[in-house]
Amino acid sequence: VTDRERVEHRVGGIDEFPAGTHKVVKVGRLREIGVFNIDGKLYALPNLCPHQTGPLCQGRVTGAVEAAANDRGTWDFEWVMQGEVITCPWHQLEFHVPTGRCLAFPHLKVRSYEVVVDGGDVRVRI
Amino acid sequence: MYELNASEDRREGLDELLVVDCDVHVHESPGALIPYIDRRWRPSLELIKDYPETHSYLNTPGFSGGGTGQGDGPMFPSGSPGPRVVSTPEAMRSELSAIKVDIGILFPDHLLKLALHQNPDYALALSRAYNAWLVEQWCDPSKGLLGVIIACPQEPEEAAREIAKYANDPRIVGVYLPTAGIHPLWGDRRYHPIFRACEEAGLPAILHSVTVITQNFPYNLGDFDTGLAVHGLAHPLAIMANLTSMVTSGIPVRFPNLIVVATEAGITWVPFLMNRLDKEYVERRREVPFLKERPSYYLKRWYYSTQPIEEPADLRQMALIIQAFDGEDNIVFASDWPHHDFDHPMKVDQIPLSPPVRRKIMGENALRLFKLDRTGARLEQ
Repeated sequence: VTDRERVEHRVGGIDEFPAGTHKVVKVGRLREIGVFNIDGKLYALPNLCPHQTGPLCQGRVTGAVEAAANDRGTWDFEWVMQGEVITCPWHQLEFHVPTGRCLAFPHLKVRSYEVVVDGGDVRVRI
Repeated sequence: MYELNASEDRREGLDELLVVDCDVHVHESPGALIPYIDRRWRPSLELIKDYPETHSYLNTPGFSGGGTGQGDGPMFPSGSPGPRVVSTPEAMRSELSAIKVDIGILFPDHLLKLALHQNPDYALALSRAYNAWLVEQWCDPSKGLLGVIIACPQEPEEAAREIAKYANDPRIVGVYLPTAGIHPLWGDRRYHPIFRACEEAGLPAILHSVTVITQNFPYNLGDFDTGLAVHGLAHPLAIMANLTSMVTSGIPVRFPNLIVVATEAGITWVPFLMNRLDKEYVERRREVPFLKERPSYYLKRWYYSTQPIEEPADLRQMALIIQAFDGEDNIVFASDWPHHDFDHPMKVDQIPLSPPVRRKIMGENALRLFKLDRTGARLEQ
């Protein structure tokens, strides 16, 4: 599918997606999409975890831990990406919402849908 | 047999395929068992009936105490809304249907830690209460919900009587052997009454562990820093230790009709254990002269459930591993619903197997193991 062939689907009004929240919307008969508002920018991911088909976007949004080696031979943990990480409620696999990147498996990425805000309407391009 | 695109017959969808799930967990809160436990122990359950379970999952004092080694480290905010539990058979039926399971075999939650109880009378009373509660409140062959009763390892003679009591109950299809922290291991002669009773009842004996750190095998899990390490090794080490104990003490020779089932340890270690014990047998047969064949001969008679199914990037490796221990007739699907590490059948179903082998592993082997017809009715013995 080329970009020109994608179709925009209205998924709600802008008021339904306040900053710091996310929700799952249905597009067409079967497709479920998670729409996230992170600091005023909207993102959309499939509500389908590539691991075991869990409802990815019905999980909670949090941050994530990263770690850097220190001279004491241990690791300095740091809490990063607060508000940008969705965790699948089935097996806790973490994904970075703005990029779709899976934190546990660098080669794995879920699809990101383009979100268009037009007046008061929110549409995703599929 | 194992090639992709085997075309000897049609590969039906998961919806059409018979899926028997050999490991599903009901939630027995202390309060639920009060009406079923011997009256002498009611005050003990009354005391803990309102103990909050959300933040101390399967760690209720006086019921399922003892460290898990998992919640003891630092906690991180996560997407988990807390432990999933299923508290009614109606909810269980609908949740199992949602993951395409037709028949579910019910195990406990808290009483996965039964072997850790120090008071044998209390452990026995809990096991009896649970068995009565499970049969009365949960099991219903017409709903595809069937139970396994707990064999109390602290009181083997009494456990044997309990097995005989349920031997012909159409709602009961097996005997659960508490495996976490069991001491001595299940090959010990003190458990013979339990195995004799299983054989006489025609019920399989099912090893099921849970992650605990105890002074018993495998006690030094406490050496690890993380839940990943502890949980990663707790289940397979417990299962391997108990299977090894049983085979090297001659259980399959003394009880030739006993069927043992290993659960919640995955399956990729099975060829390792078989080959390892066979190798030792070459040199040390004189220690086990009661074995007439190599250890793998006996281990191949028993059953192995899939969950947590290993997920190598190339799933053809799983087909080869299954082939490596002639597992097509001895592997049974399990989800472990509703626990955190449950498997949806789709993952086992992604292993490239021929349609007949796929049918066996997803359901038909379990029907033979539990002596059931396709509707969940127990066949006449």
